[in-house]
Amino acid sequence: MSKHDSTTDDSTTAGPTPETTGKTGAIDINDLTKIYDPEGEHVVAVQDMDLSVGAEEFVALLGPSGCGKSTVLECIAGYLDPTDGEVLVDGNRVSKPDPKRGVVFQENRLFPWKTIKENVEFGPRMHDSIEEGRAESILDEMGLDGFEEAYPSGLSGGMQQRAELARLLANDPDIMLMDEPFSALDALTKEIMQKKLLEVWERDNRTVLFITHDVEEAILLADRVVVMTARPGQVKDVIDVDIERPRDPEVVTTDRFTELRERALSVIREEAERALEQEDGA
Amino acid sequence: MDSRRRLVRVGSILSVPILWFVASRFGLLAGLPAPVEVVDTYVAELYRDDFWISTIRSTIRVLASFVIAAVIAIPLGLLIGRYTVFADLTFPALEMLRPIPPIAWIPFTILVLPAAELSIMFITFLGAFFPILLNTIQGARGVEVEYSRAAQSLGADSYQTFRHVIYPSALPAIHAGMIVGMGLAWVNLIAAEMVAGGTGLGFLTWSAYTSGSYPTIIVGIITIGILGAASSMLVRMIGHWQVDWATEQPA
Repeated sequence: MSKHDSTTDDSTTAGPTPETTGKTGAIDINDLTKIYDPEGEHVVAVQDMDLSVGAEEFVALLGPSGCGKSTVLECIAGYLDPTDGEVLVDGNRVSKPDPKRGVVFQENRLFPWKTIKENVEFGPRMHDSIEEGRAESILDEMGLDGFEEAYPSGLSGGMQQRAELARLLANDPDIMLMDEPFSALDALTKEIMQKKLLEVWERDNRTVLFITHDVEEAILLADRVVVMTARPGQVKDVIDVDIERPRDPEVVTTDRFTELRERALSVIREEAERALEQEDGA
Repeated sequence: MDSRRRLVRVGSILSVPILWFVASRFGLLAGLPAPVEVVDTYVAELYRDDFWISTIRSTIRVLASFVIAAVIAIPLGLLIGRYTVFADLTFPALEMLRPIPPIAWIPFTILVLPAAELSIMFITFLGAFFPILLNTIQGARGVEVEYSRAAQSLGADSYQTFRHVIYPSALPAIHAGMIVGMGLAWVNLIAAEMVAGGTGLGFLTWSAYTSGSYPTIIVGIITIGILGAASSMLVRMIGHWQVDWATEQPA
């Protein structure tokens, strides 16, 4: 496969396509390398990474901080150009952001100058597809009815995060890219948000790539947990989470959950130690 | 605000006429007219057409120059702030002109421009233009990249990102520039009117000086002060109305 394919979005390369599977939202990361080079510092964030996420699959990307998780997400979102390799979505090479690939940021990125309703309707408004009452029903589902006319600054952190999820859902993306979306929330709010996300995902058939450094969160939510190495980021291990769905937060007490958690933790511990040694050696 | 603070503030305002009264009563400042004298002159001025013509002329000059400055500086600042090519093309030239005090342009513009009116307006325009431009550039540069990214991932094209993200997010900075710009517009207007002559509050105050009418000088100063404060308030009100989202407090 050519690493420097000059054609962009419409170039069809390998990987499953909607025509073959009937589903949309498959992600293929091939040989992805991203090097940051601000003033000759030359930081290799991700090196030769390969990963396939099936359409409608829920994958958690787990790794120590600074391992390039966010870089991977930004390449899939189309914010960054890979230094080498490529990201394919449904067989098409990613070259720029697209409403089919929605993003939830760690710190909420609701537009502070727009009301909650205007935020939720932002996506549909951009392509003239506003449906009367749709924003209200999504906000209602997220438990935000009555806050349509409020500005984001008037909402608590958990409500802001729900509003951002509502904004994403209103745009009906195939893929939801989530960069540690709940890490700034308190434990209780976090649990409510995880439940909400699972509910939405189990109903709506979307692909989710969920970045987190929280092992329990990764196992609770995902079909597969992909553990990354310390920088330069690569796939270290893939853990299949064979716990039945629908899941609720109680599963953390089961033996199977504990086993999976121990396995993930031991991989992470190894990587964290290696990262420390790297720093000492430097 | 509690009543004690309010009292202190009223005291602060009252101290000006009181000090003035004391200074004129005891002859601390030779030639300073008494407050009563100035009030008499003010009432007399209110019955003179010349006073009203000057006031209206000055107000129109400031508002027109200010609006023209804002209409040019805001789009220009947004473009300079967002597009490197555009910044490289225009900003160095503007930066070269900016340090020149606008008043230094007066003789040149009187000679070159066909009417004194245009010269006065140009000087006033310069006062408002640069503060608005610089603040707009800063505001446009300060937009966090995640907001643009969020907009693009929701399907906004580059014009829509500009219109719905860059511009509103730069608005608080733009308004800060407009408040400073309005103040400097008045400063420059009065200076230009004093030099270029003809009409306006600057000219009225200056001609009161040349004819030795001390109370009229003070009338001119007070009127300029009132109009300056009123126009700043107007800009502030427009600002609050446009960026009400920035002032809303968490529930």
